[in-house]
Amino acid sequence: MLDVTVFCFFASYLLALVIEASRAMSGRSWLRWPSFFAALAGLVAHTFFLWNRGQALDLPPLLASHQDWMFVVAWIVCVLYVFVIAYDQRVGIGLFALPVVLVFVFVGRFASDVTSNGLAEGGIPRGWLLLHAILLSLGIAAVIAGGVLSLMYLLQHNRLKHKRMIPRGLTLLNLETLAQWNYLAILIAVPMLGLGLLAGVVLVFLGRQQGASLTLNDPFVIVSSLAWLVMVVFLGGTLRNRQPVGKAVAVRTLLAFTLLLTTLLGLQLITGGGHTSARPTPVSSAGLSGSHTSRLACVVPGSPLSV
Amino acid sequence: MNVHVVYCNHETAALDVRERIAFSSEDQFDLAYRRWRSAFPRSELVLLSTCNRVELYAARPDDEEAPTRESLIRFLADVHNLPPDQFSSHLLEHQGPEAVRHLFEVACSLDSMVLGEPQIVAQVKEAYERAFRYEACGPLTNALFQMAFRVSGRVRTETALAGGRVSIASVAVGEFGRSIFDRFDDKTVLVIGAGAMAEETVRYLADEGVRDFLVVNRNPQRATELASEWGGHMHPYEQLDEILAQADVVVSATGSDEPIVSVERFRRIRARSRGQSIFILDLGTPRDFDPVIAGIDDNTFLYDIDDLKATCDANRVRRRKEVEKARKIIDVETERFVQELYHRATGPIVKRLRDEWHAIRQQEVDLLFAKLSHVSESDRQAIEKSVERIVNKLLHPPLEALKDEARRGSPHGLMDALKRLFHLTE
Repeated sequence: MLDVTVFCFFASYLLALVIEASRAMSGRSWLRWPSFFAALAGLVAHTFFLWNRGQALDLPPLLASHQDWMFVVAWIVCVLYVFVIAYDQRVGIGLFALPVVLVFVFVGRFASDVTSNGLAEGGIPRGWLLLHAILLSLGIAAVIAGGVLSLMYLLQHNRLKHKRMIPRGLTLLNLETLAQWNYLAILIAVPMLGLGLLAGVVLVFLGRQQGASLTLNDPFVIVSSLAWLVMVVFLGGTLRNRQPVGKAVAVRTLLAFTLLLTTLLGLQLITGGGHTSARPTPVSSAGLSGSHTSRLACVVPGSPLSV
Repeated sequence: MNVHVVYCNHETAALDVRERIAFSSEDQFDLAYRRWRSAFPRSELVLLSTCNRVELYAARPDDEEAPTRESLIRFLADVHNLPPDQFSSHLLEHQGPEAVRHLFEVACSLDSMVLGEPQIVAQVKEAYERAFRYEACGPLTNALFQMAFRVSGRVRTETALAGGRVSIASVAVGEFGRSIFDRFDDKTVLVIGAGAMAEETVRYLADEGVRDFLVVNRNPQRATELASEWGGHMHPYEQLDEILAQADVVVSATGSDEPIVSVERFRRIRARSRGQSIFILDLGTPRDFDPVIAGIDDNTFLYDIDDLKATCDANRVRRRKEVEKARKIIDVETERFVQELYHRATGPIVKRLRDEWHAIRQQEVDLLFAKLSHVSESDRQAIEKSVERIVNKLLHPPLEALKDEARRGSPHGLMDALKRLFHLTE
């Protein structure tokens, strides 16, 4: 198996972003291809990294460390970027999506790399754990997508209102598409995160029945849940309104999603991704040179309800 | 050469200046041409008024001076009932060959905001035909405009100036409409007005997939024609507010003298709508929508002709090579036209000189034959031919000099000299 390090895909994404930025500034449309291929190379390396990690730990990356969980979210965002490029090659989505990917990889590098395995010690069903992790990861990926789309919407709206011509190197999606996709992102993010939190609550009760020391009083859980509630309040009206148009929706989405992401990333950095009741087993993820048999108490690393 | 043009266009004057001196209705043209005929009865005039320009082409076919810039500005001010200082600083002028070149550039769409757009030829033709109808044209403007249409055809055929996106509608939709909407086939399009510009826009939007056209016009007959031609529906002008509330895309190109939709009226219309994004393309000069409407809410996107300028400038830079080719053609054709015109101007002098000298020849030959009655018929013919050859040989140098002068520029100096030397009368 290939020996892939975090640096491999981080450098590829960074290179793709630099090329994308120079394309936006110079207006040379052909630069979209080197940028896209650099990002694609990064995605391939990223995929290998996660695969190796899963093989080495005998765990899906979502159930490994906080670091792995963040790398998975970055990977999903990068897949979404490739999807948008496939939809319309001219769109300068890289300028918006790649920084998010880089931030997640960068913050992930400093997040806790201790692996979690509540399956072995807690006796909690693996299906519930995976469901909790998948729902939250998809929800957060939708949050990021919504944030990126809202930012693009605001830029496009500003250009149209000020009657400025399309910058040659930075094509944005039209407002109609941006509004529809943004609506879709909200439609996915809010229930996914809600259900993810619910699954976390179920896990706590299941874990307690199995004798695990799980609690809902963890500051990580409380702050994350509050951020989710604020997001629901911000976007509740948007979900009720079936006409997904308007600058106000984009502003609300951007604010709500920025709050949520800042909270999650901030908590990761402040707490080191850990929880008050976590019993970590540190493992270096950069080298991935051998298999790891970790034992830990966390249910789902990085997720609001992990313990 | 007595051709004079005074003009303003999208480069020299903002839309709010152009719309003040534009001729938007047939009544205004009627008034202008009537006043012209009484003020300058011996001068020719063609008025060209489009959304991007207002131009006055004045000409005098005889040797008298064409109306000056000041008199043309006064005329324009009188017709519009405006003080001249409100617009005179925005007007440019050209005379003689430069005026000819300017018209050729306009007709070839080199001077248009959207480089290579085909509508301008039709607009110049319409202006010329209108001047003809009002009996304001004459030999000089006839020749000038006919030549302009030929040059326009040549540029269109020999260059790629008209390739790609070449109409105001296409630029507006491409630059702004496509950034607002993903598709047009599910949009309700309202067309206000039924003139050439409205029709051109409808044609473009139909190509973009629009199926649902609603046409509103003060003249219902014209609106019905346009609607039936493009599979749309005509609505009475009184239903404008109701339809505006439903529309996603609005194209307005009326000949109204003042805005037809004020801010207050539009606010009421928006209150009745479902708050959808609305893309308004105001192609009227004067504008049909109050410009303040653009800021009325986040989902209203209003654009007028001048908002397309930046895109059109970028388009112009990309087609620099084609512009150079077109300019070369125009240079050659301008020179040819001017020479032809000067050559034509020498015609009456040449004819008078020939007529007078041959009259003298005939008189002298008749006198000679009266004295020499014994000369045979064949000898008479030989003598007559010989004298005619002498006269022609004597005429040759001054006529060649005149022709040569006409090739190099205005031959009026030499023509005056010939008149004085040979006592040629009018």
